[in-house]
Formats: sequence, structure tokens, C-alpha cells
Amino acid sequence: MIMSNVAISVENISKRYSIGDTSSGSLQDAFRSLVGRRGAQKTEEFWALKDISFEVKQGEAIGIIGKNGAGKSTLLKVLSRITEPTTGRIEIDGRVSSLLEVGTGFHPELTGRENVFLNGTILGMSRDEIKAKFDEIVDFSGVEKFLDTPVKRYSSGMKVRLAFAVAAHLEPEILIIDEVLAVGDAEFQKKCLGKMQDVAGEGRTVLFVSHNMAAVSHLCKGGIFLNNGSVKIAGDINHVIDHYLQESISAADISLNSRKDRKGTQMLRFSSIEILDIEQRKLSSVMSGQNFTLKLKTESHRASFNDIRSIKVSVGINDSKDNRVSYLSNEITDQVFMNPGKFDSIDIAIPKLSLQPGTYSLTLFCKVNNEISDWIQNAFYFKVEPGDFYSTGKLPPDNQGAFYLDHTFSLSENVVFE
Amino acid sequence: MPKTIIDANKSALSLDLKELADYRDLFYTLSYRDFKVKYAQTFLGFIWAFIQPFMTLVVFGLVFSRGLQLDTGNVPYVLFAACGLASWTYFSTVMSQAGSSIIGAQSMVQKIYFPRLVIPLSKAVVGLIDFGIALLIILGLMIVYSFSPSANILFLPFFIILVVLAALGVGIWLSALTIRFRDFQNIVPFLVRFGMFLTPVAYPSSLLVNRIPEWASIIYYLNPIAGIIDGFRWSILGSSPPNELSYISFGVVILLFTSSLFYFKKVERIIADIV
Repeated sequence: MIMSNVAISVENISKRYSIGDTSSGSLQDAFRSLVGRRGAQKTEEFWALKDISFEVKQGEAIGIIGKNGAGKSTLLKVLSRITEPTTGRIEIDGRVSSLLEVGTGFHPELTGRENVFLNGTILGMSRDEIKAKFDEIVDFSGVEKFLDTPVKRYSSGMKVRLAFAVAAHLEPEILIIDEVLAVGDAEFQKKCLGKMQDVAGEGRTVLFVSHNMAAVSHLCKGGIFLNNGSVKIAGDINHVIDHYLQESISAADISLNSRKDRKGTQMLRFSSIEILDIEQRKLSSVMSGQNFTLKLKTESHRASFNDIRSIKVSVGINDSKDNRVSYLSNEITDQVFMNPGKFDSIDIAIPKLSLQPGTYSLTLFCKVNNEISDWIQNAFYFKVEPGDFYSTGKLPPDNQGAFYLDHTFSLSENVVFE
Repeated sequence: MPKTIIDANKSALSLDLKELADYRDLFYTLSYRDFKVKYAQTFLGFIWAFIQPFMTLVVFGLVFSRGLQLDTGNVPYVLFAACGLASWTYFSTVMSQAGSSIIGAQSMVQKIYFPRLVIPLSKAVVGLIDFGIALLIILGLMIVYSFSPSANILFLPFFIILVVLAALGVGIWLSALTIRFRDFQNIVPFLVRFGMFLTPVAYPSSLLVNRIPEWASIIYYLNPIAGIIDGFRWSILGSSPPNELSYISFGVVILLFTSSLFYFKKVERIIADIV
């Protein structure tokens, strides 16, 4: 097999949906359209995909990212032949398996064993193939004790394990996966991610949709960023992820001038906040492990800069439950600004963000000449996305704390002197 | 390596039977699932498959034979009714199950590709088990009444195939129509209830055909299962051969089944979008 062969070629694919569709309606609607009188409700058109073209080479792993509603799922559905495109043409070379959901067709009344066969055949395996891999599947799932118990007695975690175990043993040339890792406990997610790495490493073609940037950047070499149904940018995965994060809240420039709930003399006041990456591009959200700058824009109305002899700034970071998780201060870093002269922003560089994914708020505080000048509680909200903090593509489970710590492991032995 | 081409401009109406054959394992598994689910967790389990037709026969015997003194010639009434009931039960069950099968498999249809026709087709198998039991009951009754079958029994497989095709033909049509027009969900139970009276299940077709004008008889035999039941009885009991109007029924079956495949194929393309 020549590696440069094209596995998937997509040409000008568009998909139109009608909102308020009458085609699955009642006989009344059908009768109306038959006699030429359209129903009162007009159908509105909606293009879920607009003129999408790309190629995936054999053995390539491609991540598809984009906001909710950008058309990622529709694209996968079209590629999986679940729904037909309105225009365009796709050529796929090789056997395709698509996993848009874990455990499609699972029946609660059937036993685990029976569901393995049911789910496997739905995914396109033959019964002989399943029989041959049955022990491996059961091993991977870790539910062998309950194989002859109806699945309705399983916990949701067990169901997911069994279902993913079946899916993990598909051996297609092309694998299409939609965010299936979003289910199951963290332990199992890691196992799945490992399995997927194996798949991608075996030279199979993988199309992977996910919101987990850490997983995408580790699994995939190439990326496609979908926005409003069209390809915004495609290419190297890290480049694509950068663009995505930058665009997802491009209006991150939050003005603070309208805030009335502030305290202090207002000699110096915060006017807006920006998050900038190392190339000074505005970001809407940041990733764990990212190097970025928090830019606090300031203005000074009541005094000339000459009157400012010292500026002490502190920033409190609260999590979504309003617990203070960190406190940044130029007093602590011994960087109090003395006789600063003219300036219009205070920049805080954060070389490697150790916060775990989530939404955080910033409380801004500054003292000029040891007098409170401005103080805004929860001035700014920002989102931390999962990022590749440890450069391994792996992250601890979600409920395991609020911070990442750099660390290394090693083995040693006590040396006993005689 | 298999090559898939998805083209929006292609309006192929080929049935792609090869692909259907590739998915035969799914067909078996879905049939097994339906069978298993039907009898799972029921106390009497498989015995239900015997109780239901048996009780119906008892009621039929009481009402039509004892009560209404229906004449079925030299054939014992219960045996006569058992033949009608076997075909009708298979036909009506498979038809309504196949009819609602796609709607019932919505979650699957939206998440994975496979030839959708597998879903209604698989419904024909579960019914065959009940059908086999009904045939056993007929056999038992023949022994009880020491009634020996005629040589026509050689034609039985032919009529069984016709029953299957009739049930699938109507069922596949209904499954595709139900996706487009939910109204059919209400029409099907209605069809099953009234259909039994418009079909020679509990009475001989001659009883009706002799008393209504010919045009009405032709309409009567547009019912695909009407002629089949006549033929089914003839092959087992050797009574009067099927009326020549029965051939209308046979023709309707072939027409329904073939057209259902093409209509289904047409609707299949948009199933995931509108289901």
C-alpha cells in the first residue's frame, strides 16, 4: 500500500436542511401540497455544510474541530453515509467504520454477550469476526463477570465499557469517530485514548471530532477547523488549534468602563482586559499549559502620571464555584511599579498555565500611592480549555484536583553502606 | 479494497442486493434480538406462543360453529379456522411490526449506516416461529379429528412464501410511509382490526363471494391475503380449490412486494433526515 494514496476525497459537499420540514408531516400537509396550497408554515432553509472540500491520505489522522453547530457532526454523518449530501461528491477508498455513538443498538433486555454480537454486527462485523475476537473484547471491557446478565442491570459505566470494547476491535481501514470519548469515567477514557493512538499508529486513516484539544493535538497530525458549515482553515493540527482558540471568542476585549460596581479613588482605573498569546494575538480562551499574557488596559483621568509614585496590582482568580484558586500580585513578585511614567497597560505574563479546564473569573485590584485606586470583583470571565500540559497528550481525570503540577517519576534504591 | 462513492447527483434506483447480502449477519442478529426480547422475562415464556392461537380457536369455535352454525362442509370448523388464523396472524403481525420498525429504530438509523431494508425484513423471521407453532397446532388438530391431508400439500411451501411476501410487501410500504406520514401509525391497528373481517379467516370466502356482485368480489380479492388463505386451506385440507379471483390476490402480492422495495429505496435516502 502506497502511503500517499488518497483515502477520502471530498469535493464541494453541501448539506441543506429545511427547518419546519413538511416532508415528515401529516397527511394533511401532503394533501395541501398535492392540491397546490402550501401550508401556512413556510419552510426555511439551513445549510449545515457549505461547499466543503478536502482530501485525507491513507494512514493520516485528521482532527475536525469547531464550535457546536459548526457542522462537524453533519460532516461525519455524510461521510458515514447516514445522510446524503445535497450537492457534491465523496470518494472513499477502503472499509469504513463510523462510531458516532457508543453502543448503538444496545438492547437492555439482552445479555452482555448478546449485545456484543448485536452491536458488532450493527457496526459491520460478521459473526465469525466477533467470535474470533470475543475474548479480547471481553478482556478489554472488564465486565466478564456480568456477561450473561441483561444489560439493563449494568451501570452506565459498564455499558460504555462493553460498547467501547466492541468498537475498539473493529478493524476498518478508515475510522470515523465523533466525540465518543466524552463518555465513561476518566480511567476508561484514558484506555480508549491509548487504543485510538494504537489505531492511528497502525497506519489506519482516522477522522476524529472532539472538543478535547489535548487529545486532538496528540492523536492527529492534520486538522480541519469548521466554522458555520465551511472549512475555515485546514493544515497542521497545532496551527489549526491555535486558530480555533483564537477565534472562538474573538471579542475577548472586554470593556470595563461601564462597570459601576467598583471601588477606589479611580486615579488609575482598569478599562479593559485582553488575553494574548505569545504572538500577541487575542485569544478568547486559553489552554492548560499555554504561555500567554493577561493584558490589563488602564487609563488615568484624575491625575497625571507624574503623580503616580507607586502601583501595586493584584489579580484574584476564582473558579466557577467562586472559590479563590490563585492570587497574582506584583507585591509578592517584588515588582511594584515605582514612578512608572506614561503607560497604558499592565501586562502579566503566565509562562505555563497550570489551571485545569473550566471557567474562571478575575478580580482586579490596584493601589496607587498605597491608596485603593480601583477594585472590580469578577471583572472578567475566561475559559480554560484542556491542553497538553504534560506534553504527553494525557491529562489527569477531571475530578482529580484544580491544578497541574510539573513532576517526574523515577526509581531508586536505598544504598546501604557496611 | 472496497470503494464507496457518495454522489449527490446520482439518482440510482438499483436495489443493491449484494450489499444486502453482506449484511445478512445483521439480519440474523436483529431477528434473534426480536425473538429473545419477545419471550424474555415472561413467566410462561415460549408457552405463550401456543396459548394465544389455542384460545382464539376456542372462541372462534364457540361463536362461529356453535353459535352461528357456520357450514364448512366435511372439514371440522376448528381445523378450518386454524388454517385461516395461522396465515392471518402471521400476515398481520409481520405487517404491523415491519410497518413500525423504522420509526422504532430511529436512534440506530441516525447513528450508523447499514441498508435500512434489513430492519423491516428481519421482522419476517420472528413471525415464522409463531407460524411454525400454528402449523403444529393444525397438525395436532388433524390427528385429533383423524383428518388426512390431500396431495395438494405439495403446494404448501408456495403459499407460505406468498404469505411472507404479502406481509413484507405491505409492511415495507407501511414502514416507508410511516416515516413520511406519521398518520400511518394510527392506520395500521385499524387495518388489522377490520382486515380480519374482510379476509376469509373465520368464514369460507365462498360464503361472501356467492352473495355479492362480481365487482365487489374483485375488490374483495384485491386484499392480498384473501386469495392466499383460500390457497393455503386448499393445500392443507384439500377443500374447494381457490376461486379464480384468487389470482388477483397473487398478482397484488407480487406487485406490492416489488414496488415496496423501490419505494423504500427512494425514501431510504432521506430516512435519517426526517425520521
